[in-house]
Amino acid sequence: MQDPVGSDNFVLSDGCTLDDLIDLEMNEVSLRVMSDPELHRIEMERVFAKTWLLLGHDSEIPEAGDYVVRSMGEDPVIVARGKNGEVHVSLNVCPHRGMRICTAETGNAMVHRCIYHGWAFRPDGSFIGAPIEKEQMHGSKRSKDELGLPKARVHLYHGLIFATWNVDGPSFEEFLGTQKFYLDMLFKRTDAGQELLGPPQRFIIAANWKTACEQSASDGFHTLTLHRSLMVGDGPMGSTPETIYDQAPGMYGVDISSTEGHSLRCMPMDKQFTSFAGMDFSQDDDALLQALPPPGLTPELALQAKHHLSPEQLHLLATNPPQVGGMFPNVLIIYIYVARPDGTMSPALALHTYQPRGPGKFEFFNFILAEKDAPEELKRDMLENAIRQTGTSGMIEQDDADTWPQIMRSSYGPKARKSTLKYQAIAGHEIPDGWPGPGLIYEGFTKDDTQWNWWLNYHRLMSTPA
Amino acid sequence: MTSTALAEGASLASWLPEGRRVSFGSEIHGRIVDALFDEASLLDSRRFAEWISMLAPDLRYTAPIRVTRTGAHRDRDVMRTMMHFNEDRPSIVQRVGRLDKNCAWAEDPPSRTRRFVSNVRVFECATPGEYEVGSYLLVKRSRSDNPKCEEVTADRHDRWRWTESGYQLVLREIIVDQSVLSMSNFAIFL
Repeated sequence: MQDPVGSDNFVLSDGCTLDDLIDLEMNEVSLRVMSDPELHRIEMERVFAKTWLLLGHDSEIPEAGDYVVRSMGEDPVIVARGKNGEVHVSLNVCPHRGMRICTAETGNAMVHRCIYHGWAFRPDGSFIGAPIEKEQMHGSKRSKDELGLPKARVHLYHGLIFATWNVDGPSFEEFLGTQKFYLDMLFKRTDAGQELLGPPQRFIIAANWKTACEQSASDGFHTLTLHRSLMVGDGPMGSTPETIYDQAPGMYGVDISSTEGHSLRCMPMDKQFTSFAGMDFSQDDDALLQALPPPGLTPELALQAKHHLSPEQLHLLATNPPQVGGMFPNVLIIYIYVARPDGTMSPALALHTYQPRGPGKFEFFNFILAEKDAPEELKRDMLENAIRQTGTSGMIEQDDADTWPQIMRSSYGPKARKSTLKYQAIAGHEIPDGWPGPGLIYEGFTKDDTQWNWWLNYHRLMSTPA
Repeated sequence: MTSTALAEGASLASWLPEGRRVSFGSEIHGRIVDALFDEASLLDSRRFAEWISMLAPDLRYTAPIRVTRTGAHRDRDVMRTMMHFNEDRPSIVQRVGRLDKNCAWAEDPPSRTRRFVSNVRVFECATPGEYEVGSYLLVKRSRSDNPKCEEVTADRHDRWRWTESGYQLVLREIIVDQSVLSMSNFAIFL
């Protein structure tokens, strides 16, 4: 039988092809993709082993020998700092008999010794040797150089640790594409940069990874209904059950995306939150950045942004800051203002990664961040805000966690698996007057374009043999 | 203190207060167990307003994350730099306010929960009328028509204060046992 992973156009065992699953003319995706085990294996090879993946943050492993254990899709990896300060990502599987090498989630070690037979490795993944050197227990058929751990290519992006198994593939800059202009506005805006406020929250959602990831590609529309609790009653976005669909808070702005499948929603904050409605948004950029700094910055820190960003980026940060979005394939970005219990607005910065655990589960990592130079009191507030609104107990994301498993369960039946996810509310790419940035731009009411771009990149990778 | 790797950022899960032991079978131990059972019953039946009346105005309510460690620091696995809950009384009121909105889908339809509280240990505090209370918690949670219950286990380190309206919860630290939670969200209270 033909290996579906190795061929250009794979064919699943019942004859189903990628074109049967994704209808490029109709902008439809078969619901079957949300649980198919054969497709899952191909995704792990063609998507997760090919693209750049977010693993953590520089600030988690400050000293030589520090490490955390993370995963790249289903592959466990050691993310370690070597003796010269460089960051390495190596497969956490012993080349001897397949045992997991690091059994801790985090720690400090200049030697990682497998507890099974004692094969030992450096933080850079290189093989030191097996016990009883004179007996040469690694044999003579393979040199020590060959017995190092498989190493991923690593890129640090303003402290964020990315890695890919596709060591000869596209550079990280190519992976970001035009989206770099906008992502820099979130990650490269202060002198000291950002840090994680603690290790990630981790939990399992009983759903296929794509249920969360296609939503991360800037599904703005779901907010109006699934996250209605942000809007009705004393919700920070205003409205009542009677007016919510007329006023449509948080729906109008500029959605940005790129052919690489990344996306961000840039929203003027006066149209989003009732508490900012009285502000004078005709002020110049400097005055606006001081009066209402984007989430996570203080007026003082907003001054630093001028040294790191272009006037065009500063203008967008002042008037249309990016607030939510995603990076292909499995990152959610959430840099927002949230309502404190006393009704005031205060920032929360979080990044999520969704790591597949078989076709029917994924692990949700919630990384909570702040600018390193933010005042301690603000960091405490931001930690509280992010915990209360995102991740395990987050009031916003509780509702998502309950939705994704139901989408997957919908996909089991012989009739339902043939139904389709529809991305037909298409705005079309049009650059607004005076828009200073690159990329695919969709102004006005948030539509399906950015999510469809995510599926287009998925289609492109799934059409490329591993 | 942001390093994930640094063992100093973590502490031991084990808990033994310094105050005098209030024995099982004593009147105070019995009343505190009554309060814990009443609390579990109120939460299982979603009587949140009555539960909130058991919370002190100066409440701190947290659930630090656990990490898996080996070697010399293997028991220092409670990371208080990151939490699943980081609450005070106003934020609990905010959470309950959301649940009351008829659009908090994570609990609408509501979970059917059963909280089992056991291994209750009570110690006197320096402040008269306040007690350190340790208890084990098992929550089984049934969602919708899924026949498989979600569950979580935890050790809880509380401080309870005697007031005119009964015992009030002043402090709760929930030490969950999983480093990776199997419960899909904490839209419920522990």
